[in-house]
Amino acid sequence: MGSRFRFVNVVLYGAVSLWSLFVLLPLVWMVIASSKTRREIFLDPLGLPAQFRLDAFERAWSVGMGTFLFNSAIITFFSVIVIVVVSGMAAYVLARSDNKWMQLVYLMIVAGFAVPVQAVLVPLFQMVSEAGMLNSRAAIVLPYAAYGVPFTTILFYAFFLDFPRELEEAARLDGCGRLQIFFRIILPLSGPAIASAAIFQAVFIWNEFVLALLMLTKPALKTLPVGILQLTGEFTADWPAIMAGLSIAVLPILLIFILAQKYFVRSLAGLGK
Amino acid sequence: MPHLEIKNLVKKYGDFTAVKDVSFAVEQGEFVVMVGPSGCGKSTLLRSIAGLEEISSGEICINGRDISRDEPSDRGVAMVFQNYALYPHMTVRQNMGFALKIAGAPKREVNEAVERAAAILRIQEQLDKRPKALSGGQKQRVAIGRAITRSPDVFLFDEPLSNLDAALRSQMRIELGRLHTELGATMVYVTHDQTEAMTMASRIVVLHDGIIEQIGTPLDLYNEPHNRFVAGFLGSPRMNFIEARAEQSREGMVSVSAPGLDGSLRIKLKAGADAPAPGEKVTVGVRPEAFGEHDAGGWTIKGSIAVIESLGRETLVYLDGGQVRATDSESHEGYFAVHRTRQITARHGDGLTVTVDPNAVFLFGPDDETIAFPQSHHSIIHNQV
Ligand SMILES: Nc1ncnc2c1ncn2[C@@H]1O[C@H](COP(=O)(O)OP(=O)(O)OP(=O)(O)O)[C@@H](O)[C@H]1O
Ligand SMILES: [Mg+2]
Repeated sequence: MGSRFRFVNVVLYGAVSLWSLFVLLPLVWMVIASSKTRREIFLDPLGLPAQFRLDAFERAWSVGMGTFLFNSAIITFFSVIVIVVVSGMAAYVLARSDNKWMQLVYLMIVAGFAVPVQAVLVPLFQMVSEAGMLNSRAAIVLPYAAYGVPFTTILFYAFFLDFPRELEEAARLDGCGRLQIFFRIILPLSGPAIASAAIFQAVFIWNEFVLALLMLTKPALKTLPVGILQLTGEFTADWPAIMAGLSIAVLPILLIFILAQKYFVRSLAGLGK
Repeated sequence: MPHLEIKNLVKKYGDFTAVKDVSFAVEQGEFVVMVGPSGCGKSTLLRSIAGLEEISSGEICINGRDISRDEPSDRGVAMVFQNYALYPHMTVRQNMGFALKIAGAPKREVNEAVERAAAILRIQEQLDKRPKALSGGQKQRVAIGRAITRSPDVFLFDEPLSNLDAALRSQMRIELGRLHTELGATMVYVTHDQTEAMTMASRIVVLHDGIIEQIGTPLDLYNEPHNRFVAGFLGSPRMNFIEARAEQSREGMVSVSAPGLDGSLRIKLKAGADAPAPGEKVTVGVRPEAFGEHDAGGWTIKGSIAVIESLGRETLVYLDGGQVRATDSESHEGYFAVHRTRQITARHGDGLTVTVDPNAVFLFGPDDETIAFPQSHHSIIHNQV
């Protein structure tokens, strides 16, 4: 058994390593390219730069990366908060109700998950514009939240179905009302589910491009993905600066992901139950 | 006035009625144990008292006040769950003080109540641990402590010891008994473990399919069960039942005979019982300890030992009676359970003869109601010297 087992292991690890390389190499290339000159990128795309330089980062920063970073952070933060609170409470009520209308509501939320962003882009833009909310942070936080709620509700729903009922019953006997049960018992024990929902949504919102491009045209409000676009002109593009900008954009979310991946993996693994 | 009174309680789940018109009363300071087979509605009844299930009809009164529509926390009850239901994110201290904190009690008062309960349960050292760091027995103590800090009118327990191992269970049984005397509190306790019921109860409520079969003190139920169900439910190993037919009856005595057994058993009917008509089906019940060793004018069962369990101080023998079988027996093969309060050196296959004394048996009529009890419980003890 031993040698056969080892052989399977080697194959599995080999496959996973290859796959990791495949995913990681572009990232590595991005970082390396950001310290090349424009000439080097085109003449020797795969080589190392002759000289390690940081001026591309300076050029990227000078178009307002700081502002974009700040905007992205604020918008991601508030969207995720809205998503977690709204889906958490909705999922809790749905998971605890036997009412068949509630089941229908849940079905509709699940169906909402299947609607692609592009399909509703135009009406969404018109709605936001009619409401006079273009070029405000709310104009992007609300749609992001709306897109995030279905998936997160499904995630929380599955989690709450497995939540031990006795704890809630004990809390009822201890005098908690519904809201108190939710905020004092359920939420504090939902750490893994919240963490994974938050990471998932944060990554999506942080990287989202189309909606942000449409809703936010004022430079002062732009998020990172849209802001970086300013580094490309009509005829020329400052590729090292773009790569530097992307590196700056990727770093924070990568850090968060690495720090919290334990919860993320655990909660997604739980979904398969 | 009874302390807790249940009147005509009905609980339905859709078309299924889990509790059917149950009424009983519990006096202040009583320890009432509800027993019954799985699915008979014990938990449902208890949860209805706690307010975790909405009842379909009936009344639940504590101190004369109808609480059946009150919120669980306003009923003056505290419940201890089978799997403890401690809040994992709180320390033991926070767990125990949570109800008082929610009720808005001042910090000092909460602390005092927690300390007092912790002292009663001897868990002072555990107060700052999380539930995860506790053993099963400690967790159950904390769960009980959580109930005590609320100083409720009625304590409710739903199989609180069934997650513990045997040694810990008997230790906690004694502990709970001590607690009951110490607090003088009214307690309603659900279990399917009859040892717990027999040892702890001031009174036992036997439930079956959502109705009460009998209420009484443990010895009442053991000595004078109203029907075959109660007789078979209490006692371990259970009572041996022998299917029989009534013959003629006269002057409060009835003769019964069973296939495979020579002669007939002349049994004295209990006062007021209707004698079964000749030919009607009756059941003779013999407690394992009531089998005699000398002929006392009744039946003699000659058989061989199928299983022998030597427990040191006592011995249990499962007797294979050949054609004569016990119905509804603990062993599926219909062996007779025989109990002896001494050591017996015998082996599987050895022959053994036991006798059935007509004065030491129960008799159940065609409708399974008890129509005859053993004449004296002393005669049982007499028989086994
Ligand atoms: N929520 C529910 N919906 C439908 N039926 C239920 C529900 N809860 C309990 N029942 C039914 O009611 C009956 C009584 O259940 P209950 O839990 O009270 O039994 P129990 O006596 O506590 O049994 P056990 O010893 O196994 O705990 C069972 O037949 C059960 O299937
Ligand atoms: Mg139960």
